[in-house]
Amino acid sequence: MLNVKKTLRLLVTLQDLDLMIRESHDPESKGEEEDLGFELKNVETLQTARGKLAEQIGLRWLNLYERVAKRYGRAVVPVEGRVCLGCFVTLPTSIVPKTLEDSEITICENCGRILYWL
Amino acid sequence: MTKETKLAACFESALFIPNLRATDRLQALEEMVECLYENGRVRDKGLVLEMLRRREILGSTGIGKGIAIPHGRTLAAPELSILFARSIEGIDFDALDNKPVHLFFIIVAPPHDRSNIYLPVLGKIVEKVKESRIRRKLMKSEDSDELRKVFLADA
Repeated sequence: MLNVKKTLRLLVTLQDLDLMIRESHDPESKGEEEDLGFELKNVETLQTARGKLAEQIGLRWLNLYERVAKRYGRAVVPVEGRVCLGCFVTLPTSIVPKTLEDSEITICENCGRILYWL
Repeated sequence: MTKETKLAACFESALFIPNLRATDRLQALEEMVECLYENGRVRDKGLVLEMLRRREILGSTGIGKGIAIPHGRTLAAPELSILFARSIEGIDFDALDNKPVHLFFIIVAPPHDRSNIYLPVLGKIVEKVKESRIRRKLMKSEDSDELRKVFLADA
């Protein structure tokens, strides 16, 4: 069983990858990059990598990620100070980690997004 | 503030590597990400490296003429950062023209990019480095002050 910190890192990696794949399919974003001279030719390879990455994440967290991402676009959002940067609600002190190393997977009680502590 | 002034303001003195020790593509990315991490510009170097590595799989960011601009967005980057690095020897980066890369700009930004300057910054750098006189100056720049001047003076 994966520990929470590793799972959170996998979720962030998945989200970064999803953003890259989404922008590679989006005609506007793709066009902007290609106009600058960058190649975006191996999207299928990234899709395969995405599948393998998703297999490493426990079903509970993966399902939550997929559900929240479908609703909001981004499932994992940063927290600055005590504010969820997804919905901008101040989080209760009870879920704020004392140190960065304490970081574990927490969910915003207001919007349901997965929180990533900066 | 002009676009050039905004871009020049993004170059920080600590994010300047005058001569990379790296001899291959992955080592180069690792060395540059390490510099970002040591200077507190990224929260987790593993996540940033993974994102940049996957971006290279999508297509090399070596755009030719000795230039590579690895870039991408990740939650591990709290704000937009630009790192400049140079390799005197040159590094095989699978560039479009198959030539070694000497000049690197790494650009990382958060997914939300609140200031919305990620793509404009990327575009401005590409526009500038297409000019051979700019590339020659970049090969000689000794620090970030000179780097800023290159981008400002040729605005």
